[in-house]
Amino acid sequence: MSEPMISFHGLIKHFPGQTALDDVSFDVAPGEIHALLGENGAGKSTLLNVFHGVLPLTSGEMLIQGKKVEFHHTKEALDYGIVKVHQEINLVPEMTVWENLFLGMESRRFGFLRKQAMIAAAGGYLAQLQCGFRPNDRAGALNVGEKQMLQIARALLINAKIISFDEPTSSLSACETATLFKIIRGLKAGGITILYISHKLDEVFELCDRATVLRDGKYINTFNVVDIDRPILIKSMVGRDVALFATRHRPSRTEMDKPVLRVENLASDANGFRSISFTLHRGEILGFFGLVGAKRTDVMRAIFGADCVSAGQLLLHGRRLVNRHPSQGVKNGIALIPENRKEQGFAANLTNADNIAMASLAKYLRGPFVSHRRKDANARRRGEMVRLNPNDPAFPTRNLSGGNAQKVVIAKWLSTEAEVMILDEPTKGIDVAAKAEIYALMEDMVEKGKSIIMVSSELPELIGMSDRIVVMRDGEIAATVDKNEFAEQKLLTYAVEGTAT
Amino acid sequence: MKKLFANHGRELSALLAIAVMFVIFSLIDPIYYSGDNIRDIVEHATIYGLMGLGVTGIIISGAIDLSVGPALAFIAVVVARQAVSGVQPVYCVIIGIMIGFAMGLFNGFLVNHMRLQPFIATMGTMSVFRGMAYLYTQAVPVIGVPRSYRLLVDGELFPFIRSSIIIFLGFALILHVLLKYTCFGNHVYAIGGNEEAARLSGVKVKYTRTMIYAIGMIGTALAAIVQLGKLGTGDPTTGIGYELEAIAAAAIGGTSMAGGRGTVLGTVLGAILFSCLKVGLIVSGVDTFWQYVATGMVIVVSAYIEVLQARLSAVPGGRREGKAAH
Repeated sequence: MSEPMISFHGLIKHFPGQTALDDVSFDVAPGEIHALLGENGAGKSTLLNVFHGVLPLTSGEMLIQGKKVEFHHTKEALDYGIVKVHQEINLVPEMTVWENLFLGMESRRFGFLRKQAMIAAAGGYLAQLQCGFRPNDRAGALNVGEKQMLQIARALLINAKIISFDEPTSSLSACETATLFKIIRGLKAGGITILYISHKLDEVFELCDRATVLRDGKYINTFNVVDIDRPILIKSMVGRDVALFATRHRPSRTEMDKPVLRVENLASDANGFRSISFTLHRGEILGFFGLVGAKRTDVMRAIFGADCVSAGQLLLHGRRLVNRHPSQGVKNGIALIPENRKEQGFAANLTNADNIAMASLAKYLRGPFVSHRRKDANARRRGEMVRLNPNDPAFPTRNLSGGNAQKVVIAKWLSTEAEVMILDEPTKGIDVAAKAEIYALMEDMVEKGKSIIMVSSELPELIGMSDRIVVMRDGEIAATVDKNEFAEQKLLTYAVEGTAT
Repeated sequence: MKKLFANHGRELSALLAIAVMFVIFSLIDPIYYSGDNIRDIVEHATIYGLMGLGVTGIIISGAIDLSVGPALAFIAVVVARQAVSGVQPVYCVIIGIMIGFAMGLFNGFLVNHMRLQPFIATMGTMSVFRGMAYLYTQAVPVIGVPRSYRLLVDGELFPFIRSSIIIFLGFALILHVLLKYTCFGNHVYAIGGNEEAARLSGVKVKYTRTMIYAIGMIGTALAAIVQLGKLGTGDPTTGIGYELEAIAAAAIGGTSMAGGRGTVLGTVLGAILFSCLKVGLIVSGVDTFWQYVATGMVIVVSAYIEVLQARLSAVPGGRREGKAAH
């Protein structure tokens, strides 16, 4: 094998009270797509941060093409041609595409910007990446996939040798993902080395050449992707046999003769969905599938009462609901666990107890006053139910991992004793073990007679967990499929084409 | 003990700073710890403290109120005119509180219902209220506030204990209970922490934030009422720059300008610290102009302490990113 592109030798990174990287050594070959795998907190992001000069190393060394490097600042890594395509995309939304592209690297002549030259150059890069937007478009108007392309264009602009991706597909539709993969393969063909972090093992098998697994900050192994299968990877990631796939461990609880929520011809002109009708039964887990843009989230927000509707009605136990404000949704026993938990699910500045109590404060009153003892007791009890770690009411929620933050949001809604739980992408961006716990929680909930609507873009998870699946396409319901007819191919066909062929 | 420090670090460090300052100024000039001087400190703290408390609630909700200085002037002249014209002192106080409440409602309406940015909206009303104070008096101070009024709001009930202090501490206590022990108060924190998450949890964001503006302005109304009692004159030019002092008292006391964090006790201590420093500088004969520099430095230093404390108490940045990123 030729000289490695990157060599990590004995990387150690200590944080106070924690070792994030513990003697990590491995090589990355030139021009390969190298996956970094591991659960949350395994050290993948720390490794990338060290590699990109965001964090200093405690000890150990990094070699690039055999030469020892030390980065104290992101800029130094950039100068080496090492670029990161961010998970959370950093752009100036008010500026145009080309301004963002050249930000900090503006082309100048006599101190003046060479605007036309830059626009032309930007156009070239966008054409190379087959982007559908133009240099003069406003960056804020781009969708997530396009913003990512813009970042990749920036990498090309500075002649990157190594590009790292941190969960690049977490917000992309299937179609955008396919485009991204094509682009990444193109980058590889151009001799660029790729580091690729993802939770989605399918992507690793589809895209990557080799995969390195980290666990608890330690290096576990590097595999040739063609030589292995999913169970091997999963086993080395979690170190124990966790059933990765979402499956029901307990029998279905659906009572088809007991409808709980009936949605009739719901429509919203503003949010672009129409004639939404379905029934949710007691103890049912009703899956909602669709591609990005199918308006599933908008429908859920309308049912909950976060957005207005222009037509149709909701019947909860036969009683007509007019919910115009979330507070009415809460009162009626509907819970919405939103897709973007950071923006909509919890308040980072508050403690676990405050977040968990946010939707159910009236329950902790003693007389006119909120009893903090009751509030904390509730937080502890709900925290135990959702296996929150650390289950400390005074712990600031901002310091929790993604999976635990999601558990806080779930605990918040368990506290309201809501009867209808709407979970919008409940396992998005959380690790395998936490996913398994969330699935178990869902089973606990239906066992207690609650009903669940689960919106997800992950078909295996929907197929594993749902009793029925509603498929949406372009703001309408394309099909409602019973459990005995679940098949990935079929559901996907409905989502793409609207009818089964 | 450790827990006490973790939960009340800001209050304890403010207390420590007050103690240190007190010792230093007393060493410079023993007059500093004389009874008269301590009363001076407390009197200063009462005005800023009352205004600071009101602003604290608003800042916790993730907003700001810049209009409290001119509001103080307007309320003071209206109450003064009432008192001079013979209205019972108790009614004067009630009128003042009601006017303050209404002015706060107006700010809250602009911010929450017309969706103006809090900074701009209250900058606008800042000018409006000042103009109202001038129009109401034609820029002539209202003099001759009767003794009965002054005794009511600032009379010495016991040696050292003036009714103004009771008003200050009473308002602090009520606000503390309101913020910490009622649904309303918890909602204020939730809105400041994450408005959208709060809304989706069923919190009535508009109502809550409008009300905290109104309740906050009661603090300013009480400050106006007390100040009028102390001075005996309703001056339309009073209160210039007070909004900054009020915000500074909150900031020194650990109220986060980002919202969602802050305590009543912190602001009370912040106001006392502020006034210890001001009086101390006067007593030790420091040039007036330097006093501005010194007070400014205190604000900057306390803000930096906040940054340091956040860094120390939080899980290290890298790990947080690493964990939260997934």
